[in-house]
Formats: sequence, structure tokens, C-alpha cells
Amino acid sequence: MTIERPEANILIGKRATLIQEFLTGESMDFLKSLTSFLDEYFYTVFEKSISARKMVVSGNPFAIIALGGYGRKEQCIHSDIDLLILFDRSVPLEVETFVQELLYPLWDARFEVGYAVRTIEECIDMSFERFDILTTVLDARFICGASLVYSSFMETFKSRLSGKRLKDTLNYLFEHGKKRLKDFGDSTYLVAPDLKSGFGGLRDYHTLLWYSKIKSNIKFRRDLEYYGFLSNFEYTSLEDSLAFIWDIRNRLHHITGRKCDTLHFEYQAEMATLLGYKNKAGQPDVERFLGELHGKMEFLKQLNQITFEDILFTRKIKKESAMPKPTKTEGLVIKNRRLYFANTVAILQKPDLLLKIFLESGQAKIPLSIEAMRVVSEFGHLVDDEMRTDPLCVKLFKRILALSYWEFNVLNVMLSTGILERFIPEFSAIVNKIQYNHYHLFPVDKHSIRCVQVINSFKEPGATQMKSLYAGVFKDIRNKNVLLVAALLHDIGKSDPAKEHSKRGVKIAGPILDRLGFNPTEKEDALFLIQHHLLLAKTATRRDIFDEETAVSTANVIGKIRLLRMLFLLTVADSKATGPKAWNDWTENLIKDLFLKTMGILKTGELASKKTQRLIDKKKQDVLALLRENWREESVSNRLNGMSQRYLLYVPAQNIVDHINLYRNLKDREFIWQITKENNSDIRTVSICGKDKPGFFSKIAGIFFLNHIDIVASQAYSLGDSHILDVFKVMPPKDLIFEREKWEKAEEDLTQALEDDHFLDKALGKIPDTLAISSGTPPETSKVRIDNQTSSFFTIIEVLTYDFPGLLFSITNALYRNGLNVNVAMVGGKVDQVIDIFYVRDINGDQKIESDDKLEQIKTSILNTLPHISAKEVLNEKN
Amino acid sequence: MKKIEAIIKPFKLDDVKEALSDIGIYGMTVTEVNGYGRQKGHKEIYRGAEYVVDFVPKIKIEIVVNDDRAQEAVDTIRNAANSGKIGDGKIFVLSVEQAIRVRTGETGDEAL
Repeated sequence: MTIERPEANILIGKRATLIQEFLTGESMDFLKSLTSFLDEYFYTVFEKSISARKMVVSGNPFAIIALGGYGRKEQCIHSDIDLLILFDRSVPLEVETFVQELLYPLWDARFEVGYAVRTIEECIDMSFERFDILTTVLDARFICGASLVYSSFMETFKSRLSGKRLKDTLNYLFEHGKKRLKDFGDSTYLVAPDLKSGFGGLRDYHTLLWYSKIKSNIKFRRDLEYYGFLSNFEYTSLEDSLAFIWDIRNRLHHITGRKCDTLHFEYQAEMATLLGYKNKAGQPDVERFLGELHGKMEFLKQLNQITFEDILFTRKIKKESAMPKPTKTEGLVIKNRRLYFANTVAILQKPDLLLKIFLESGQAKIPLSIEAMRVVSEFGHLVDDEMRTDPLCVKLFKRILALSYWEFNVLNVMLSTGILERFIPEFSAIVNKIQYNHYHLFPVDKHSIRCVQVINSFKEPGATQMKSLYAGVFKDIRNKNVLLVAALLHDIGKSDPAKEHSKRGVKIAGPILDRLGFNPTEKEDALFLIQHHLLLAKTATRRDIFDEETAVSTANVIGKIRLLRMLFLLTVADSKATGPKAWNDWTENLIKDLFLKTMGILKTGELASKKTQRLIDKKKQDVLALLRENWREESVSNRLNGMSQRYLLYVPAQNIVDHINLYRNLKDREFIWQITKENNSDIRTVSICGKDKPGFFSKIAGIFFLNHIDIVASQAYSLGDSHILDVFKVMPPKDLIFEREKWEKAEEDLTQALEDDHFLDKALGKIPDTLAISSGTPPETSKVRIDNQTSSFFTIIEVLTYDFPGLLFSITNALYRNGLNVNVAMVGGKVDQVIDIFYVRDINGDQKIESDDKLEQIKTSILNTLPHISAKEVLNEKN
Repeated sequence: MKKIEAIIKPFKLDDVKEALSDIGIYGMTVTEVNGYGRQKGHKEIYRGAEYVVDFVPKIKIEIVVNDDRAQEAVDTIRNAANSGKIGDGKIFVLSVEQAIRVRTGETGDEAL
């Protein structure tokens, strides 16, 4: 049914003009104007309505009442229109005709109108049953009709809002707020902020208004100041923030053509242009726009936090003492659970109160009153060079940095009042520095502060395994100030987007750390953390963390366990404080893994100490010198850089040279070796380079045994690109006449052994069952020790036994048959007893062995393969 | 049309992305996933406490290409993701019945 109504057409026309004026910037008060146009419509239709007159005449007076946002006169383009048609005692049937007359034209014109028809009694009952109705009633405003019905309704409503109902209502407001945080989250600094329902959205202001209306008789927003809920300063800031957000919300409604309150990413650039933002000082308009928006939303959020503190307080305690209570800091007092300066003039004599108030607030967990925030801002100029370096003030600042986690973030207030910038002037350059992308949610200043807050949250012992790891690592850090100051300053270099911020940060942070009285070591540590704050995150995602070399090179950059601990927590806090894109279980796992693996390398110290580095550097130089004639320096360097640190540390320079030459000549062959004779000795050195195949090492040992070549010592290494480099020191065959032919035979055997897995079975039978040892004391039995903790990458197996021909083959064959690959072997020098060390990994998964059963099985099978040890002397005596 | 799903090592993502764009495949869906195959989870120890990683972090990429490009895409991914080690991942090729571009309603190859 379509009802033609000239009033509706007038309304539509007026609204269209108003929108035009709004878009061109001619309309100053859109929300109120649209409200009054609607009011006019309802008033005119009501005046002209015959059905309305009938109802009034038949003794059913009623009022038309605006609820919710319409009641508050805050009507955006596509906001809902909530209407209440309220009767004194009973609802007559004619109301249906009236509603049709009144609302059909609006619905036809696609206004979102919701309405309710109730009696006073019904409406009051429902208000106390359903709190969402109650909050709309709190904003009820009379439009037209019988004003007496409206006033008697409001009077009854107010009188009932006391005692238990009052308490319930406050409870509701509190719970509603908690639920809202859960449902909508914190909208300040979201990629797509919810201008209405999220924290920092308009709902924060609504909550304050509702709370104030429940507690006193205020009717309008303006009353918030008159009734003392806000100071003039706060009220002005509120007006300013609301006007800004409403403007955006209204434009958003217009752009999307519907009631859309979420400022999605794709609208943000357009919005910035519409609002007249310009690119300035290298910062795009959209970043400047978002910076300002987040600032306003932050204010609403702070207001809401304080409202919450108030509600909490009102719920708990019935009577509040109006008398200020002293605090343990002289010059600061508590009134109504807020912190105030006792005497503003005193700040002039003791400017350190400007810092003390934050420390007191954080320690006592009492928020600063907004009044105190204003005072702090106004006296901010007292924080001068002298104060910035004063040891007592510096100490205060460090204690503020280390305050335990609290939702009401004291550092945030320090930032919003400008004191943080006064104390660390370099901070100004990153204030409200938004990075416009899906990844970074927070402006750099807020991000830095969140980072500090996350680190302080590690103080709490954790409920989950990860939280307890963070808590444990945090506890292990001795000088927490270094970590905290690095967290605060890690992005200080972001002031100039064109430069690499980590390096730039070091330059800027240096003088700050001096002012804050950090000693040279602390300063060096903090600067290291700033410069390398991306190291772990980058390495974890861009390099293979299952490769030992990744952990070794990370350990080499970091160098010290205390730095690794701090860098780890800084990385976690930095990622957590960036936003959900930067932090999730997946990333957490990668970073934790890299941390623990690097820790393993640093703790062992073998591969990442300064001394190791010196030795390796020296060796690289030696190799370069030896290869200078036939090789270009660059290609040797490339080769050397691709080799593992362990290899470079333990293999002599001459063998490395051999390996490099062999590697070049390997081509398609499975392996290639070179046999050299040592000066003045029978010993031969066999350098081997081959394609890594499971059992390779065992097979070499096997064919040496088969060909009566006695192994004196050997080292085996695998190269990252699936090649192996081995060095064997061997005694040549006893009969040296046909030595060359004998080596050729061995080479032939190895080729066959690599092809045929059972080629060496015949050699197995030649391993002796018992071994008679002659020594002064009774010989020890063979031992196998398995170390599964030292390395994150390998299971380390040590075999202690007596040497005999075939020893290496018997052990490595047992390893191979157990599905293990020997990645590193150090097979010892030739005194009677030997300790052979093998770094092994599971062939199947290319990782260390985790199962205890499997470890036990390996141990047993090695021991079983070794000959029984007996004493020779006993036998001799018998003979 | 074929859908190609590849599970690769995280640090190989950039290489694969680059290699695919070199052959003119620009769109893909990337997901951070956890799982295990021959390469299993493991444990690390810090101060006596064990930290067990049940799954190995991997990246899953998904692309849909028309039939005659599928082999080329598979080869490209394989080359780029290969480090010669266990845990380099797997590639799956699935047949796709239909593809529709949401905005225009184009279907089939047009929609890719």
C-alpha cells in the first residue's frame, strides 16, 4: 500500500538538500538539522491525522517519542529512526491506522524506522526487563502529542530507577561494556575501525551519557559539564572528537548508501580526500587523516575507561567520601578513585611531580583524573634539559617503564598529555605516525608503548606453556631496564620513512640512552637490540630454521646469551604489539624454535664464540692464499661461505683446498677422492667429495676394512647442498709394491658398494667377536653415550671402545641399518682406547631422533655389533 | 581448469612467488599452515622444560590455472621450492569444475 503524503516528499526534499549542503560543507549542524526535519514531519502528520484526533477525543491521549540516537538528536544520513508511541493507560485499535499514516510513507522512501506502541506501565516494565530498551528510554525525547503522557512516564521511570534496580542497571552497563569489548574489540587502531560499537567508538560516549543520566537528572550532552561529570576541558575535547567522528560516519553512510559504521580500508583514502587532507612532509594524506581519527577515538576510549572505573566504584561502595585522601607521594591526592595534584602551584617548585603522578598511578592502580591530565599537559614545559638528565627523574622514568601491566596504560597517558615527548623530545617524530597498510595497525608511538606493555606483561607467571616460557626468559634477564628502553625506542628511526629504520634508530637512540644514564655496556646492549630487532623474525620466516647453519649464523650475530634472551622477548613483544597479521601461533612457533635452537648454539659455544670466529676467519684466509693461483678469490669466498662452520672449524686448510678442487671436478660422478702422502710418515690422507647418499660414510669405512686399509682417524661433514666432504687418515696396504692398483681396487669397490647395499655383507662377517686387550688394568667394556640435548639438530652418539680394524665400519653400519645418516663424524686418534663421535639424523625425516625407544634401540645395536672385550694378560699367564 | 595446491617451506615463499610471476602467474592464495609428513614435530629444551612442537610450520599456496598451463606451473613451483632436503613439501593438482568471477560473473578460463 502506498500512501501519498506531501509531508514525506517535503522531508525527502529537505533531506536531499541537507545532504548536498553537508557534502559541500555549507551545513554546519547536519545531525541536528536532520533530526528537526524528522520532528517536523512527525509533528505535521500528527497534526493533520484524523485517526490521531479520534484517539485523543476518545480518551486515549498519547505522545510520540524519539528514542536512541534520534532521541539524542544525533541523526546521521542512514541512522535508524526509533520511535515510541506511548499511551497513558490502554492502546486503542485505531492506532494501527495512525501508524500506517505515519510510517508507510517513510518506509516507502526507505527510511529505517523502528517503532513500538506501548502504555506507560508496559514500557517501564519492559525497560527493567530488557536493558537494551532501558538505554533507548534513557535517551527518550518528546516530539509531539500529549506531553503529560511523556512527563508522567519519565517521572515514574526515574522514581523506579533506584535501589536494586539502580544497582542492576549499573551492573548491566558494566557487563555490557565488557561484552562489547569482547564482541567488537578495541577499535582504536584497527585497520577497519568501527566508529560506533568498538572501543573508541561513539558507544563510549553513549555509555558515559547513560551513566550520567542514571546517576542524575541530566537531559543533554551539554549537561555533562554542568553536572560535573566532565570538566570544561574534557567537554570541549568531547565535542571536538564527536564532531569529527560524526562527520566521518555521515560521509561513510553517504558513500556506502547504507548504515555502515565500519570505516573499511578501501574507503579510507577517499575519506581523507573528502575531508581535505593533503600530503605533507612525506606523509600521505590518508596517514595524516587516520592519525587524527585515532587520536579522537583514543580520547573517547580514555573517557570510557574512566567511566568504567566510576561504574565499578559506584557498584562496590555505597557512600563515597568527598574528602581527598593522601597518597604515599607528597603532593598527590586521591578523590573518587582518581589521582589529583593536591596543589597545582606546588608543581612549579617540584616539577618532578609531573613524573611522580604517573608512577603513583601505575603503582596504586588509580587512574589520573582528566583534570590532572590537563594540568600535566599545561605544565609540560617545566620538563626541561635539566630534568631530562636529573638522576632522580631518570630513575622515576625507568620505574614508570617497568610498571606492571594494567589496562589503564600509564605510558599512554604520558603520551597523550605530551609528557613523554617532553622527557624524550626525539619521540615527537614518531607520534601519530601511521603506516597505511593492512599489516601495521598502530601508529609508531602507540606501537612502541604497547611493546613496553607487552614486555611488562611477561612478569606474570604464565598459564600456557608459551606464557611460562616468556615469563621464564623474562626472569632470566638481569637488567630489564635495557630491554624496556629498547622496546620503547626500537622504532624511533621510523620518523623518516625513506631510511632503514633500524640503523637510523641507533643514531637517534644513542644520545637518549646517554641522558638516561645507561652505562656503556647497557647502552651497547640497548643499541644492539634496536639495530637488530627484526633479526629473529626475519630469519625465522626467510631462512631454513631446520638447518644448523641458520642457528649458527644467528648466534654469531647475537653473540651473547643475555642479548639473545632480550632480543627474543623484544621480537615477541614487537610482533604482538603490531597486530594479528604479525602475530599468530604459526609465527610464534617459528620464532620460538629459532630462539631455542640459537640458544643451544650459544650455550655450547663451540661454533659461535669469538675464538671460533677468529680461527675460522684465519683459516679462510689460508685457504684463499693456497688457492690464489688457480682460483678467482670471489669464487673461493662463495664456496667457503657455503660451507658449515663446523667443517671450517675442524678441517685443516690443506684438506679444504683439496675438497674445493675435488668438488669442482666431481661433475656427474658419485664420488671423487684424492690420496696424498704425508711427509715423513706412512700415513695417507684420503680426501673425498661425493653426493650425499644414506650410508655413504659407512660404506667408505667398509671398503677400507675390506681392502685392509687401516683407518687412523677420520672426519665427515655434509655440505648444505647435499654433498659430503670426508677426510680419512689411513695406513696404506701393508704391501706397498702395487699401492696404486690397490687404491684403484678400493675405488672400484666403493662404486659397487654405493650401488649395491649388500656388497659389504661379506665384510661384516670379518668383524671379530672378541677383542683381547693387553693393559695393566682390567679393560673397560665398550660404552655408548647418547647426547640428545646439546644440539637441536643432531643426536650425538659417542662410542668409547678399543680400536681394531673394522671398528668404524661396524659402528657406522649399525647406525645406517638403524636408519640414521651420519652428518658429522669425528673419529679419534690412535691410542688404545678411542672415543668416536657421530652427529646423526634420522634418514627418514632428516631430523634428530626424538623417541627414547629408538635411542635405546640404537645404543643396543651398536653395543651388539662391537666385539666382546677381554683381557689379554690373563690369557698370557695361562700360556 | 586445474587447482594447484602446494605445501612448501616458509622461507621458499618469496622464491615461488617470484618464479610464478616470471611465467605470468600473478594471483595466488597463501595460507600459513602446520602439519607433518616424513618431517615430524620435535622438542626443544629450555632450562629443563621441554617445548614440544607437534607440527612443522609450512606455507600452503593455491592457484587455479587453465589446463594447458598446469604442468608448467607445477614445474615452476617444484624448481623454486626445491632445496633437496626432506620437508621441501608436496604439490597436488586437482580438477576444477567451474570458476566464476564475483564482480562480472565471467566463468571458466575468463574468470581466472
